[in-house]
Amino acid sequence: MPEKNLEEMLKTRNPVEMLRNSQIGAYIYPVVPPEFTNWRDEQAAWRKTAVLFDQSHHMAEMMVTGPDAFKFMNYLTINSFANFPVNRAKQFVPCSHDGYVIGDGIIFHLGENQLNFVGRAPNVDWIQFHGESGKFNIKMERDDRSPSRPGGKPVTRRHYRYQVQGPNAWKILEKLNGGTIPEVKFFTMDTINIAGRKVRCLRHGMAGAPGLEVWGPYAEGDEIRAAILEAGTEFGIVAVGSRAYATNTLESGWIPSPLPAVYTGEKQKAFREWSKPDSYVAIGSIAGSFVSGNIEDYYSTPYEMGYGGFIKFDHDFIGREALEKKKDKPHRHKVTFEWNTDDVAKIFRSFFDPEVENYKYIDLPLSNYGSASFDTIKKGNKTVGLSMFSGTTWNTRRMLSLGVVDPDIKQGDVLTLVWGEENGGTKKTTVERHKQTEIRVRVAPVPYASEVRESYGGGWRLKQTA
Amino acid sequence: MAFSSPLPIAERATERGSDFEKKLPGASALSRRVARADLSPQGRGELKRMAAGTRFREKKMTAKNLAQVLQAVKSPVELLRNQQTGPNIYPGVPAEYTNWRDEQQAWQETSVLFNQSYHMADLAVEGPDAFKLLSRLSMNSFKNFEPNKAKQFVPCSPDGYVIGDVILFYLAENKFNLVGRAPALNWITYHAETCQYDVKVELDQRSALRSDGRRKSFRFQVQGPLAMKVIGKILGKTPPELKFFNMTPLTIAGKTVHALRHGMAGQPGWELFGPWDDGEAVRGAVMKAGEEFGLRLVGGRAYSSNALESGWIPSPLPAVYSGDSMKAYREWLPAAGYEAAASIGGSFYSDNVEDYYFTPWDMGYGGFAKFDHDFIGREALEKMSNGPHRKKVTLALDDEDVTRTIGSTFQKHNRAKFIDWPSAVYSMHPFDRVTADGKTIGVSTWIGYTANEGKMLTLAVLDADYAEPGTEVVFVWGEENGGSAKPTVERHTQTHIRAIVSPAPYVEVVRKAYAPGGWRKSEA
Repeated sequence: MPEKNLEEMLKTRNPVEMLRNSQIGAYIYPVVPPEFTNWRDEQAAWRKTAVLFDQSHHMAEMMVTGPDAFKFMNYLTINSFANFPVNRAKQFVPCSHDGYVIGDGIIFHLGENQLNFVGRAPNVDWIQFHGESGKFNIKMERDDRSPSRPGGKPVTRRHYRYQVQGPNAWKILEKLNGGTIPEVKFFTMDTINIAGRKVRCLRHGMAGAPGLEVWGPYAEGDEIRAAILEAGTEFGIVAVGSRAYATNTLESGWIPSPLPAVYTGEKQKAFREWSKPDSYVAIGSIAGSFVSGNIEDYYSTPYEMGYGGFIKFDHDFIGREALEKKKDKPHRHKVTFEWNTDDVAKIFRSFFDPEVENYKYIDLPLSNYGSASFDTIKKGNKTVGLSMFSGTTWNTRRMLSLGVVDPDIKQGDVLTLVWGEENGGTKKTTVERHKQTEIRVRVAPVPYASEVRESYGGGWRLKQTA
Repeated sequence: MAFSSPLPIAERATERGSDFEKKLPGASALSRRVARADLSPQGRGELKRMAAGTRFREKKMTAKNLAQVLQAVKSPVELLRNQQTGPNIYPGVPAEYTNWRDEQQAWQETSVLFNQSYHMADLAVEGPDAFKLLSRLSMNSFKNFEPNKAKQFVPCSPDGYVIGDVILFYLAENKFNLVGRAPALNWITYHAETCQYDVKVELDQRSALRSDGRRKSFRFQVQGPLAMKVIGKILGKTPPELKFFNMTPLTIAGKTVHALRHGMAGQPGWELFGPWDDGEAVRGAVMKAGEEFGLRLVGGRAYSSNALESGWIPSPLPAVYSGDSMKAYREWLPAAGYEAAASIGGSFYSDNVEDYYFTPWDMGYGGFAKFDHDFIGREALEKMSNGPHRKKVTLALDDEDVTRTIGSTFQKHNRAKFIDWPSAVYSMHPFDRVTADGKTIGVSTWIGYTANEGKMLTLAVLDADYAEPGTEVVFVWGEENGGSAKPTVERHTQTHIRAIVSPAPYVEVVRKAYAPGGWRKSEA
């Protein structure tokens, strides 16, 4: 009989085995065309001119309303809501009862008793599960991300969501607005005039320069997009396709894909029973060389993801007790790994040599091949970290990855990244037969791009380098 | 009496030209840029080259047909090389079902399902004069051509240059369907509309240029060494013996399906087609039957690279841009159709657009020319037939040079044009220069990597003196002076890659097992 939920699935399966051999395929950034021009110029534009990121399709949303909305969301995140008025946003980091991250995303405090979460699906599942407990007087409206393979069928979402970023972003936005836009603080919301409409916006800065995220009813999306591109023409705006999109984080240092820490622990059992066999946590995939029999070795704490500064024990939240215990222990820390170019070239060379076994293909510009990536980082023979998101950007001219390392690892240390999976590779559909190999990597700061380090607005990115 | 296409001219006119505007609005805005003083010098340079595309576009807007578009530009070559159109796209199917390496290997090792329902246009040609019209446009003999047979249809200009290359299905008495890129279909439509033929033509546009998510027909190919086992399993019996390019009706999943004996990836296989609404049921039946034979679905990334192994050049430039004899046709062709929006990319540069034209011999179709009937281009082809002819070959690019070129992605200066995987094609019509002994000796077209050979291959057309397998030549990769204004072209440095001339098709099994009498065989 087919299993009805994740908990039942795990009765006969080891979660590591299951996720490493998932048949889900690549993690897709759907609907947006792979390239509008070419991914090289699209990456270059976010550093040289301006870009339009179309975020309307790859993230799920959960609108939470009602008298307990604020209290409920605060109960699910490590952050303090003490200073969280309407028209502000926060990075929302839900944790398991055991103090490991479920994921993260952005919550928008849209109005009195109205909060919208935007991010990967497991966070939305986690919110929904707890919201359905009946302990809170709230209403939830879920809007799943667009289908990965719409097959030519029409796609609709509740909201369009765009970001205008890059050194010329502000000029474009002021032109659209028909006048100056007051310098609002990072993660503060306001409105802007676009094409005769008042559009809500969030001060953001994904690629290291001031920019805005704008959103509104999906049906108005085409019109708003056209107006932005029209206004941006003279400032060199470039629409970014789905191939380049996700790589911007290699420069800004956000790890989008921690593994939701739900597979173990009695206290997460009810969530596992609630999670359907086709949910993200049941069918998402783990890719990479890191193998452990214990799924908990793939979990991340908020400290190692760079969110330690967010944790405030001024409120009751899931995971609080566990995090209080972890607080003073040594933590792994987030870094950028700079891949040795000769070693990368050796991998590409193997694709042309019939005499040797090929290494795992490195796709460009993004080389992840699962929903969550975990490649072993070694110092000598000892595992000292994990690489969790990899690719290249035309601005950095290197293969880079984001990941975590043990406390004693310092910037400039040269370590080894194990590329490819063991024994020819797992059964994931994205994995052709290949041979594992090693790549030298140098530990570099996160965020990698110096511009990002210097000008990004507050928050964890700055704290990381401090 | 001639019937016009059911689509109004204006709509037909926007067919492929509008790809860019409809699908790539961001790029469209980009092409309208102007340089501005308050941007960095680097940014200004960037905008300047993008503006090059703009000038063509603005002139094209007021033009009513291709002839007027060409009058407004310096030369057809300038227009096409700086076009704001990307490479042909493969919509409808995901980029990868599993991963493109395994998908490529499956067509050599087990079996694959190519879903061709989306990326090609169909033209139905029906009526008492349909046979006569098509014969008039075809260098192939129609002598033994009868219903349930298909032909590769390669219409030529009066000067004997290739206009296009599509598959012609003889479905029933007075009933034909042609499937492929637009130029050959436009050429037929033109003659149907302007000459005295009792025919009706009806275009079914490819998916990239429509928004209804439908087509008239589904079109699948089942290919690979185990393909016939899959077909046998579906039918529950040994499949009927079909000669190459012959058709038969069948029932699959309760639906009537037509099967064409084909062999795109160099192995016997069938193409299946039928009404659009039956597609999902048929596809489901194929996938189910294919399970035990390792059938893989092939995604958009791997799909177009199969031509590299089978030796088919998908992208001849339609020979319509020059010559008095084609003037009336240029005046008929729309200002935003395929021909006006097509892009040329690559290192081969000539002021004369005719240097980009192919003769049937260049493409390996010389054997098709049969002077047993009257057809457009006959006189010119008769003159050409004694040669000398260039020869279609595969270039096997030097592994070290390719690795060095790819490695330049990770260096600060002098980065080469990015080589995308597995298809490195970045325009509708790739033309790269091939040199030897310090002179240009041919052009290279399709380019990409195949995991079956572990090689980066290209399909090239070379002077006969240099076409012997084993000859060492130089392949020039990337465009001159940092690159043209096409949106797919980042600033880059041209580089040289050594190459070994090899047979076309490259793959051993293709050369040996392909259909008797076909061009692939005669090439070997």
